[in-house]
Amino acid sequence: MTTVRAFLIELGKTLKLLARNRVAFFGLIVLVTLIFLSYIGPLIWPAETKSNLAAIYQGPSWQHPLGTDFQGQDNLRQVIHGGRVILEIAFITGILTTLIAVTLGSLSAFLGGAFDSVMTELINVWLTIPQFPLLAILATMLKVSDVWLLAIILALLDWPGLARQVRAQVLSLKQRDYVEAAITLDLGTPHIIFREIMPNMMSYIAISLIFAMTGAIYQQTGLVFLGLVPLSGANWGVMLSLAYNRGAIYTVDALGNVLAPVGAIALLQLSLVWLARGLEEVFNPRLRTSV
Amino acid sequence: MTPTLSIQNLTIEYAVRRGAVQAVRNISFDIRRGEVLSLIGESGSGKTTFGLGVMRLLPTMARVRQGSLLYRRDAASDALEVLKLNDAALRAFRWKHVAMVFQSALNSFNPVLRISDQFADTAHAHGYLRGNLLAARAAQLFTLVRLDPERVWRAFPHELSGGMRQRVMIALALLLEPQLLILDEPTTALDVLTQRNIIDVLKELRHKLNFALLFISHDLSLAADLADRVATMYAGKLVEIGDVFTIFQSPRHPYTTGLIRAVPTLTSDRKDLTSIPGSPPDLIDLPSGCKFHPRCPLASARCKSEEPELEDAAAGHQVACWNWRAI
Amino acid sequence: MTTTVAPLGVDRTWLARLKRIPLDDLRYLVRSVLKSLFTIWLVTTLIFFVIRLMPGNPVDIFVQDLLLKGLAYEDAQTQAASMLGVRLDRPLHEQYFEFLGNLAQGDLGKSYISRNVPVSQMIVQRLPWSIFSIGTALLISFALGILLGMIVAYKRNSWIDHLLTNLAAAMDALPSYLIAILLILLLCTVFKVIPVTMTRGAVSPGIPPGFSIDFFVDVLQHYALLAFVYILSRTGSWMLTMKSSTMSTLGEDYVTAASARGLSEGRIITAYVGRNASLPLVTRLALSIGFVVGGSVIIESIFVYPGIGLLLSQALYSRDYPVMQGVFLVTTIAVVLSNFVADLLYGWLDPRIRIAGEAK
Repeated sequence: MTTVRAFLIELGKTLKLLARNRVAFFGLIVLVTLIFLSYIGPLIWPAETKSNLAAIYQGPSWQHPLGTDFQGQDNLRQVIHGGRVILEIAFITGILTTLIAVTLGSLSAFLGGAFDSVMTELINVWLTIPQFPLLAILATMLKVSDVWLLAIILALLDWPGLARQVRAQVLSLKQRDYVEAAITLDLGTPHIIFREIMPNMMSYIAISLIFAMTGAIYQQTGLVFLGLVPLSGANWGVMLSLAYNRGAIYTVDALGNVLAPVGAIALLQLSLVWLARGLEEVFNPRLRTSV
Repeated sequence: MTPTLSIQNLTIEYAVRRGAVQAVRNISFDIRRGEVLSLIGESGSGKTTFGLGVMRLLPTMARVRQGSLLYRRDAASDALEVLKLNDAALRAFRWKHVAMVFQSALNSFNPVLRISDQFADTAHAHGYLRGNLLAARAAQLFTLVRLDPERVWRAFPHELSGGMRQRVMIALALLLEPQLLILDEPTTALDVLTQRNIIDVLKELRHKLNFALLFISHDLSLAADLADRVATMYAGKLVEIGDVFTIFQSPRHPYTTGLIRAVPTLTSDRKDLTSIPGSPPDLIDLPSGCKFHPRCPLASARCKSEEPELEDAAAGHQVACWNWRAI
Repeated sequence: MTTTVAPLGVDRTWLARLKRIPLDDLRYLVRSVLKSLFTIWLVTTLIFFVIRLMPGNPVDIFVQDLLLKGLAYEDAQTQAASMLGVRLDRPLHEQYFEFLGNLAQGDLGKSYISRNVPVSQMIVQRLPWSIFSIGTALLISFALGILLGMIVAYKRNSWIDHLLTNLAAAMDALPSYLIAILLILLLCTVFKVIPVTMTRGAVSPGIPPGFSIDFFVDVLQHYALLAFVYILSRTGSWMLTMKSSTMSTLGEDYVTAASARGLSEGRIITAYVGRNASLPLVTRLALSIGFVVGGSVIIESIFVYPGIGLLLSQALYSRDYPVMQGVFLVTTIAVVLSNFVADLLYGWLDPRIRIAGEAK
């Protein structure tokens, strides 16, 4: 119970600090709005199932604030329905990537020796493999239609960069007096990693998690755009891909049909980056005045 | 004889969020031709700021509130107001007239350039020797600082030890024959034997080449060994200045006394060793009156309200303390 | 250097030169070469087994496809084998060695779709376009990023710093294909500044390739928007890295010492700040140059630009596995090679690194 309470107090403090940082606060608000819209919105505005051939590529109106697409369906409604999958994949990928990277990175730094050498070389090799082509080739074979499967593949491809940074961080934390003291006292590896080192890396991990999410959004929408991931149903990537392939970007009337998914993806990416940059400033006050 | 550098009413502040850090407060003294002056004090007393201020190398958030720095290359030449030099004149002034060796010689060299290139850069900036003539001049300086020119000239900084790098820096500082050399804690990062070696090199150099030396240090034994005169700084202010024997044998400021008592010597009894109680003041929010009074064993009511200025305690010995007669 | 002419003069000078290279450097070189070879082998092996052992194994699918088209099993097998350049009836490990052997001779198999066209030939045709377009755009964005990063670091906390830093962070966050689509939408559809044909392909049909002004102008017109998108989306990241690198370099003692020595501002900015601050970016640039060989899959697809990226995206679309495998391998080899060059370059640019490499 006490740890939960301590955690809540820390969370409260962080939120207070965030509220003072305009960029981060703005990012947080946009992000929360997008999440609400994607989860609550569909309950209020159910998806359209029929196409309306009389209303193809309409401009903004009271009935369709963002216009309509090539089937005459409302763009705003599609945006509301198309965020959930993207958010879920981004979040799961972010968590998995961070988990793998933090575990392997800190173990590598902590254990040293042969494990560290093998890990370092593995990461080096992994980073030279062209990630997106490999991802695309895998996607053609695996018929990725499942959120979890895609998230796992993304995480397996994305962890090495972060793992290398975590390793460097842990190596420098290991030099600190209190960690050296814990090592001398022989408090055990799990204790040292989870009690002494990790708490000092939480902010760093949180920020990395957000950046991992932006990476996942980039990759998944890219795959969808290339038509390699047959994710069923509404999705901003699918919307964009359809808008592009049906030639909507060359039709002035279809402006809303292109801008809606572009805006949605851009806002999501920007809100995450704003939040991450704000968090960096909050946790690392040296950046604030940046000497 | 006219002094090499005459410092008058120099005041330097740093603008930070909380307010103004008063790093150097109204300091006036002369650095005489060819003398070694040791500037001593705890860390945070403004010594380094003073050194950087003389070179006008202060970071952008620092401001020189007032003062004057008059420099004369020799007795016959006109005085130069360092604080009024424009950018070009300042670049020409630096290193040619006043050179400085920094605290961390380890990082004072560009890691990707050879020592020879860094000498060439300096020479080129001042239209000095080049090519073989420069190499010959450098070899001469390396010999003076007891380095093997062959070993050092073509080396990268990281290939040299800390002590070697510091001596290369001293050689580089002397390249243009400056009249004043500022050494800012030049031996802090080095082991005791290397420290001793550097001090010996410096002693030898000042007899061979006639230049003034401002030796900034918190290490009193090194200061005593090298200096002709000693100046004590506390909370950005000069509190005592005099020749080395007077200062060490009959100091008149309780802070100087405290500093000397805090240093162990081979002959002194351990129980005589005392540290100064308390810690240096917050330079943003200074105490009233004499800035040392909260830590001073002799503090009186007057010390709390009025700040003493330097006054003559003897010929060539000045002290800023209301109660110096009592010491 | 005229010494007595010996019968083995050439060999001797060569040997003498070799002997003059310090042993540490030689060891560093050998290690880098071995590491590169190992990586290439590992990636080759990985892609071989991925393509043959995955659940949706494309080799079997291809054979089944041919069977459905009415070919006999034997014929289907031989045809698939000839495309992949491997005899499918052999055990897997023999296929593997055959595959490696072919690869060593530069044989990447033949395309499933464009029958009997060697993959290597397709790649060689597309390569110049990617290297021209993405390559120059990369160099421009790198140079721009270095320049802006230093300006912003020198002028930190000024309005120009706030403006450029926020802009760079936003550009870095936006996927490049969003920028591409937005620009096409704005410039071609809404404001009609650029004709749509300029955003598709590398040259207009009907203009004969050659050293003519028409051809040259046409190529540049098709290149401009694609390059602009790439530069917009990549410069931000270079700039932000350069900014933080420059800021930490500015805090170094050797920069203060350089001003104390009276060096000119220009010399300090270039040789003292710029050179040290850009060191970490040089390795990243070398790596990125390797990735140029693979083109940019999504941007090239949007602009239908006939580079390697478009080749890959077409192969992905038609499930042309020999082409995918070929593009992937060529890209990886290019990345490994540029990584190797980066290693050497870094050792040359930063004299400290050789020692550090040995200490590890």
